[in-house]
Amino acid sequence: MIDKLVLERLIQEGVSEGADFCEIFLEDTHSNVLRVTGQEVTDTSSSNVYGAGVRLIQGNDEVYGYTNHVDEASLEQIVHNLKVSFDGPKMDAKPLGDSQPYDPQVKIPMASKTTTEKAEKLLPLTKIMADHDSRIVQSIASLMDMKQVIKVANSDGVYQEDERHYARVIMMAVAKDDTSMQQAYEGPGRSMGFEIFDELDVKTLAKETATSAITLLSAEDIESQVMPVILHNGFGGVIFHEACGHPLEATAIAKGLSPFVGKVGEKIGSDVVTAYDDGTVDNAWGRLSYDDEGRPTQNNLLIENGVLKGYLVDFRRGRMMGAKPTGSGRRQSYKFSPTSRMNSTFIAPGKDKVEAIIKDTKYGLFAKKMGGGSVQPATGEFNFAVQEGYMIEDGKLTRPVRGATLIGHGKDILFKIDRVADNLEFGQGMCGSISGSIPVDVGQPTIRVQSMTVGGAGGQK
Amino acid sequence: MSYEKWIKLGLEKGLEDLQIFATRNRSLKLTIYQGRIDQHVESDVESVTLRGIYGGKITSIKFENTNTDAIETMIDRLISNAKALTANEPAIIFEGSESYPEVKVESFDFTRVPIADKIQLAKDYEAGLLGQKFVKQVQSTTYQETENETTLINSKGLKLHRSNSFAYAYAIGVFEKDDDIKTAYDIKLVKDYADFNLADMIQTTLEKGWAKLGGSSISSAQLPVVFSNEKFGELLATFTTIFSGESAYRNLSPLKDKVNEAIAIEGLSIIDDPLHPDAYFQIPFDDEGVATAPMNLVDKGVFKGFMHDLKTASIFKEAPNGHSFSGRISTTNMYVQPSNVGFDELIQPIENGIYITELAGLHAGVKAVSGDFSLQAGGFKIENGNVTTPVKMIVLSGNFFKLLNGITGIGSDLKFGLNNVGSPSVFVSSLSIGGDDSKAS
Repeated sequence: MIDKLVLERLIQEGVSEGADFCEIFLEDTHSNVLRVTGQEVTDTSSSNVYGAGVRLIQGNDEVYGYTNHVDEASLEQIVHNLKVSFDGPKMDAKPLGDSQPYDPQVKIPMASKTTTEKAEKLLPLTKIMADHDSRIVQSIASLMDMKQVIKVANSDGVYQEDERHYARVIMMAVAKDDTSMQQAYEGPGRSMGFEIFDELDVKTLAKETATSAITLLSAEDIESQVMPVILHNGFGGVIFHEACGHPLEATAIAKGLSPFVGKVGEKIGSDVVTAYDDGTVDNAWGRLSYDDEGRPTQNNLLIENGVLKGYLVDFRRGRMMGAKPTGSGRRQSYKFSPTSRMNSTFIAPGKDKVEAIIKDTKYGLFAKKMGGGSVQPATGEFNFAVQEGYMIEDGKLTRPVRGATLIGHGKDILFKIDRVADNLEFGQGMCGSISGSIPVDVGQPTIRVQSMTVGGAGGQK
Repeated sequence: MSYEKWIKLGLEKGLEDLQIFATRNRSLKLTIYQGRIDQHVESDVESVTLRGIYGGKITSIKFENTNTDAIETMIDRLISNAKALTANEPAIIFEGSESYPEVKVESFDFTRVPIADKIQLAKDYEAGLLGQKFVKQVQSTTYQETENETTLINSKGLKLHRSNSFAYAYAIGVFEKDDDIKTAYDIKLVKDYADFNLADMIQTTLEKGWAKLGGSSISSAQLPVVFSNEKFGELLATFTTIFSGESAYRNLSPLKDKVNEAIAIEGLSIIDDPLHPDAYFQIPFDDEGVATAPMNLVDKGVFKGFMHDLKTASIFKEAPNGHSFSGRISTTNMYVQPSNVGFDELIQPIENGIYITELAGLHAGVKAVSGDFSLQAGGFKIENGNVTTPVKMIVLSGNFFKLLNGITGIGSDLKFGLNNVGSPSVFVSSLSIGGDDSKAS
């Protein structure tokens, strides 16, 4: 990558004609996908993302350029092309400081293992799924690993290197009987190396994935209705991510496009709701030592006992809003300018027990595993899919149901949460937004929402 | 270093055959917010996908660091990846098709239009929306231009090249009426800058926004449903993998073993036509160098066969049909064949139904393997053959394979989306609607 003195010179060049901020982001990312289908290794592909992004800002206005030609002349050309957008006095960039230590969170680097050694960890997983039941017609286990090396430098003197290691094991089972074909999957991910296979009980997850696919075969299509919904821990947190997380990002707030604009200090949820976005959780999929603007990540309190406490803020939107950045500036790669994004977002645990919440629910839906969802931040309307669900009747889980989708409004849902259990867990996903697709954790303990609109293909109740 | 030299290097390192698929993408993106430039992004990125056979196994590696020393590392990694493959599957680098379809060369040079004009276009677009009835603000107004060049060269002597250039613009209007907030946009994609018609673009965006305002949920019910052309295209697009030879081979498509069987009503035909004149892009060859050609996926309700890449074509003992794109099997320009039934005629028999013009959560609420879908939706009531009041916040659920047999009518208004899937409006006899009684009007 480019020498520090060269970066310093280019940054000075960037702020020479009116821009009051210049940032250069360099990236070299290597990732591998390994797939085992049944008992065969069927895919071993690799990719490399390599390039540089240059950002100039004057006031609130921004220009951004990127290229895969990471050499002094190419970057200089970009700086020249970009700076003509602005007109104004020359500014003195601060000298670049020293990069602070970072923690790559890895014990056994993936690069120290051969593809065959990795495959040996996946083969038992597909076997567990295939052997679970004769109705399992396909079992696939994949390992996605990625090492992202970045360097970010800017005219405020920030000079920061970081190295991020990601590992994710994705398991899918397909079950088939005379009437239908169903799929189930699990995709735990961590900021880790090869030790993910020691630290996670992937074999149990493989068994659960197969069980889930078989359960779906006998599940009935859920009837459309409005009813109480218990959202189980872990990936259930996708509801908070979609309904509240995105609308609390400065990207939405700075433009006034969120139901939560101007609501800091106000009650936006019921007393049992406390929520954080934390970039510092050890080995978490959404963890970073430093964000993509070179700031250390932190634990941000979003909501405390129902009262809105803060937003997720990146450098530029922080300027617009007069707010301090929260270490939340993220981007998929050098091909994106950073914006405010989530890391590990979760509803804090309460004191309730799952069993008690189910027992106290006369009728409703237990959403054991969630799929993904989406939100339109301007309107607050969100949706998400239930991967595995059970009806609750007289305080007991009864029949499995499939095909449920839950919809609602972000500003209503937090008020409708009336029970929060003590079993906080995280689930992992890729979150897509303006600055690309990034790894995030969603998380929550088991919670109950008093009423939600549930849709499904089983007719209506 | 030239691609020929990379091929030579690969062969020297022991690859039996290899292919270089290189793309260069240059783009400009401008977004305007409140009369100022919110984003101005310029890019120039080359990317190379190396595909090679080692020990009879094929795999690929994609990279952006094209420095000479990096190439060697990439070839070495490709070899070690190939060594780890255990599946005995056909490994083919293609010698080339006999001929390739001719496509219109679209080479308008958008960079020749002064950037100030493009900024003005976006500013005028935003200004044209602001101040209009119910427009609360404009979330962002985007102009984007892209120029792509693709070069394919391999050790079998094949050399192919394709390029295109296009630009598009859209503005996301935020509409508000009686506390009801809705966003709407319409993307206009052009191959020549002169084709941007601002007055039309503003009018279309306004009409889309106005149409969404108001409305309420409805009580849950089983109802006749008409999908707008755009929305049926979006739903169909989420099921393209069922037509993939790879899905069939891996036991992941319910259409496996159903070639030449009826899977839909007789009136339904689904075609994949890489050269369709109404589609946004015409594609002469796929990423393995195979010539493309129109293909009937579903003909009068009968499933006719899978889309293939070189590997699955060989496995199924069929001719390759040019569907390998970005390392996957995918459609080119897939569309539902339109009828000559106009929209008014299509909905005329419906006494009480729903016209769907919005779908959300398509990445999550669709299971391609089972066909189940359950999606946040919005649109309008259809009452006594007429589109009447808006409906919002409902869940539309069903099963795609059952839906194919429950189609009652197909319209004439074929429209291709930016996902390269096209459809006319489609009338389905009955689907499940989930709503909220307390919020129904």
